[in-house]
Amino acid sequence: MKKLLNRVAVLAIAGTVSMGAQATTPEEDRNAFNKLYKWRFSGVPMEEFVNGAYAIDPIGRENWEAIEEFPPYEPFIDEGEVMWETPFANGKGYKDCFPDGPAIAGNYPHWDKEQGMVMTLPLALNQCREANGEKPLKYKKGSITNIVAYTAFQSRGQVTNVVIPDDDPRALAAYENGRKFYFTRRGQLNFSCSTCHLQNTGMKVRTEILSPTLGQTTHWPTYRSKWGTVGTLHRRFTGCNKNIRAKPFKAQGEQYRNLEYFLTYMSNGLELNGPGARK
Amino acid sequence: MSISNLKLSVMAGAVTLLAGQILPLPSLAAEGSSVVAEGKAIALSRKKGNCLACHLIEGGEFPGNLGPPLIAMKARYPDKQKLRAQIWDPTAANPESAMVPFGRNKVLTEAEMDKLVEYIWTL
Amino acid sequence: MQVNRLYSVLLVTALLGGGVGTTLAADAKAADPKVVEVQKMIDGAEKARKKAASVDSEWRDTGKFIKQAQAALKAGDYDKAMKLARKAEDEGNLGYQQGVSQQELHLPSYLKY
Repeated sequence: MKKLLNRVAVLAIAGTVSMGAQATTPEEDRNAFNKLYKWRFSGVPMEEFVNGAYAIDPIGRENWEAIEEFPPYEPFIDEGEVMWETPFANGKGYKDCFPDGPAIAGNYPHWDKEQGMVMTLPLALNQCREANGEKPLKYKKGSITNIVAYTAFQSRGQVTNVVIPDDDPRALAAYENGRKFYFTRRGQLNFSCSTCHLQNTGMKVRTEILSPTLGQTTHWPTYRSKWGTVGTLHRRFTGCNKNIRAKPFKAQGEQYRNLEYFLTYMSNGLELNGPGARK
Repeated sequence: MSISNLKLSVMAGAVTLLAGQILPLPSLAAEGSSVVAEGKAIALSRKKGNCLACHLIEGGEFPGNLGPPLIAMKARYPDKQKLRAQIWDPTAANPESAMVPFGRNKVLTEAEMDKLVEYIWTL
Repeated sequence: MQVNRLYSVLLVTALLGGGVGTTLAADAKAADPKVVEVQKMIDGAEKARKKAASVDSEWRDTGKFIKQAQAALKAGDYDKAMKLARKAEDEGNLGYQQGVSQQELHLPSYLKY
């Protein structure tokens, strides 16, 4: 309590008001993020942020555009289409779980009130499999990326529109947990997501440009040259955490799902353009 | 950071200075420069200091630009201990610092810290 | 007390050592006070690692160091085992401190609302 009073006193002296209660709404968070990136990259149109570092790095962009002429993720889309069309052993298929068709990426992540958790596309696909007696797929690489690549490709042009429903306070709590994760320093190197992707976005670590948070969720799965294959968003989270020497969390576990909920909300209004290709 | 380590590094620095400027003591001078060389190896190693990830160092290949260039270090840190403290835990001076707390989080040992500081101070 | 501890060490060693064939060797090693001491250090490191994990702040290599320490102990390289256990325990404690120090969210000053 005394500590809290001290902090309030310090803040009052410093004249900052907004830092005190941290009671910002998701929309206020998103506006603050947008404002920072608009200011940092003043010449970059908002819709360009879906292209990550290539929105701000002309040399990297040239290489990337050359790669996109023969997209390395194409075979994965094709295999995903086969998966989508092929019935499970019980005769049913993905189509029965997702009657709205394969263009469903724009519906994820969303708050699942019944299960009381953030539902992501890979998780929903696996729940469909399990409900039909099929083994769940692994979440970071392998055939999960095919089916997600196919749905992503079919969903291109949809607009990110994460909703935090106000009829279930747990949804906002999940968003806030994701936000807390984003700003929490981790690992031996003591970085948070925001250290690199907000505070120092656009700067270089060695030759690598730190991508803006805005647009980071629009293009999954992504073919990464470093991986030599397509991987999921949660695989990327895992890699980020390892880079800062933190023990990664479970792919599709609560921490990463909440982080995805927050991150995707920050990209509300941006077009989906998956699958992507990155260095 | 232990006081004895600090004292040692300060003493080593003084000896190096003396040896370099006044006394023609080749053995001591060689020792001083070998400490600097070891510090340089720590600074450049990707698994140790990896300073180039974020800082420009003259002659270093592919530097990042997250942090300020490592130049004029003696002018910026007349007090070598302050430089050491800054590398040991930059978040002490600025909680929002993006720099790794190399000493506090034991990325480097205290002995490695001492050598690193000797090198950085020559920049 | 003494008997109890010896029993638990035996149990742990037997579990780690695995098969029946190693039981005799394990008995002999477990009686060695040095083994008991190093095992205690490794157990301490594991406790610290779990504490860090409890606040979602475990570091990448802590678990690896503990495994390596355990392997070094088994191989009889006590110095290496102790060094690794010490390192892992430090990491566990530092990770825990890091997690605890950030229990509350502080939005950074560079994010302007």
